[in-house]
Amino acid sequence: MTTDTNLAPSAPPGSQPRVPLSQRMQGLGGNARQYGIFGALVVIVLLFQVLTDGKLLLANNVAALFQQNAYVMILAIGMVMVIVAGHIDLSVGSVVAFVGGIVAVSMRDFDVPWVVAILIGLAVGGLVGAWQGYWVAYVGIPAFIVTLAGMLVFRGLALVIVGETVAGLPSQFIAISKGSLPNFLGFANNMDVVTLVIGVLAIAAIVFSQLRARASLRKHELYVEPVGIFVAKLALVAVGIGILTVILSFSAGGTPIVLVIVGVLVVAYTFLMGRTVFGRHIYAIGGNRLAAGLSGVDTKRVDFWIFVNMGVLAGAAAIVTTARAGAAIAAAGQNFELDAIAACFIGGAAVTGGIGRISGAIVGALIMGVLNMGLSIMSVDPSWQMAIKGLVLLLAVAFDLINKRRAGTQ
Amino acid sequence: MSSDVPLLSMRGITKRFSAVEALVDVDLDVHAHEVVALVGDNGAGKSTLARMISGVLAPDAGLIAIDGEQVTIPTPTAARALGIATVFQDLALCENLDVTSNLFLGRELRAGAARDDGTMERMARQVLRDLNSRIPSVRSPLSSLSKGQRQSVAIARTLIGSPRIVVLDEPTAALSVAQTAEVLVHIERLRDLGLGVVLISHNMTDVRAVSDRIVVLRHGRNNGMFDAAHVSQEAVLAAITGATRAEVAEGPLSMLLR
Repeated sequence: MTTDTNLAPSAPPGSQPRVPLSQRMQGLGGNARQYGIFGALVVIVLLFQVLTDGKLLLANNVAALFQQNAYVMILAIGMVMVIVAGHIDLSVGSVVAFVGGIVAVSMRDFDVPWVVAILIGLAVGGLVGAWQGYWVAYVGIPAFIVTLAGMLVFRGLALVIVGETVAGLPSQFIAISKGSLPNFLGFANNMDVVTLVIGVLAIAAIVFSQLRARASLRKHELYVEPVGIFVAKLALVAVGIGILTVILSFSAGGTPIVLVIVGVLVVAYTFLMGRTVFGRHIYAIGGNRLAAGLSGVDTKRVDFWIFVNMGVLAGAAAIVTTARAGAAIAAAGQNFELDAIAACFIGGAAVTGGIGRISGAIVGALIMGVLNMGLSIMSVDPSWQMAIKGLVLLLAVAFDLINKRRAGTQ
Repeated sequence: MSSDVPLLSMRGITKRFSAVEALVDVDLDVHAHEVVALVGDNGAGKSTLARMISGVLAPDAGLIAIDGEQVTIPTPTAARALGIATVFQDLALCENLDVTSNLFLGRELRAGAARDDGTMERMARQVLRDLNSRIPSVRSPLSSLSKGQRQSVAIARTLIGSPRIVVLDEPTAALSVAQTAEVLVHIERLRDLGLGVVLISHNMTDVRAVSDRIVVLRHGRNNGMFDAAHVSQEAVLAAITGATRAEVAEGPLSMLLR
């Protein structure tokens, strides 16, 4: 039951003699789960690397992995916020088709410059989100119903706008998904120098931010993990990014542009969810909506903006998808909502809300992506691919639940 | 000890839920340095009254004054701005968040675009220390704490933002004896810190242990006010049930008196 006053700030949980073991393990739970998904991703990558005779990690395949799965990662970022708040969004696939149609038509039929078309796409996505957010937040209709309706409405509107395939889009626009950063720094041993520089900068940024976070913990006299573990973690991350960088630098184009877009979004949204008041309120609403409301959190406003944000990100996914296809088709985005939702749940989000991380959703998306690519390289029949992915989703969530029950939190 | 102008003063409070009269013409005063117990049977209107003080419900009629100045309390946020903090009966905490996050929920400190987590953690430790509370770490998720510890967090939360009036709705319900004792100590700390406390409880032992004044509600009306130091338990119970004193002393109700 109660432990004695253990407010001593700098004492690590492990060194508090009276904290029962079960409680200590619980404290680790969140992180262990995170490491678990990363571990699963590494295992799956290595497994397919072996099964495909080393084809999985060929430079061009790795670049393609990101180009093919950018849309899932972008949608999963928004979706994990929706799910953490205790909602769901079934409409994103249709919204992708709808916004993609508007963007393509505005460029082809109205000669809108591609940059402006992108802004229009994001704005329309935001409006779609505001429409759905209004019904969810201010009218109080469950998100499941609102977005199920949205799924039909926006698929229908997409069919209206994109009667036939809208092709002939500007090459700069198509480069968003198919292009890579220009190799203006030349090559060293066949490696694209721009990619290497980006990799080094990424590693440096991570090391710097971790050191700063550690210093701030020290300053506030909070628990800091032992130097050994801290260094080991940083080294692992650095090696991981390093390997990825070197592989990518050998690819035909170097760094895919979508990878940069996704990277920026991940950093920005990790900050939003982890370090801002808005992010805290999303978790609070998902944990106990009533309590959050009584505590003065404007739950309706938060709900509304979560859906606006999801809409904008669906707009971004629409741009990426349309650029990748080189054309807008009314059937675009089929099952995208399910891909995004699956990525979130594989990544550790709780169906009941309140739990879930951006990083988890991204790793979940990557696991699905690696499965897709690995099975395709092995020329497994697409029907079987679907069945296998379904089982992976089920097992990932089952594993999570069983773990939680064992920890006694369920 | 009580100053002349009450910290909180409610006059003629009336509230109807469609046909049901939850409160009729109820008066309540709370002074600084005072614990006022609000007692009554189920459905007597205690929680309804508490929810009006904390801005969850609005009265249909009646006046509320703070420091003698008439106010309206339309929302929980407005209540907090007026210096009123509430611990709701159904623990209004988020179990997926840690102690600090719960203490500051809805009034997070900011440093630029981000939250000021460092300052919040430091203040959280300070507040828990003020209460002599036993929480393993301000970073413990609420789901890992016992019911009593959660109640400590709920009470500690009232102290964030230096309130003057604290409303506690059944703070000891469903707690063990030891946990109840700890919560009662917390309540006394609140009084020592100079706050006006409204304590809603079913438990006469708890009420008599910490309160200065006992206000009885019955069927949504005032039904007696007692000085806790001098009143007998029978008298309070009689007011709660509407029985006369003799009936209580001899009848089956005497079984209830511990």
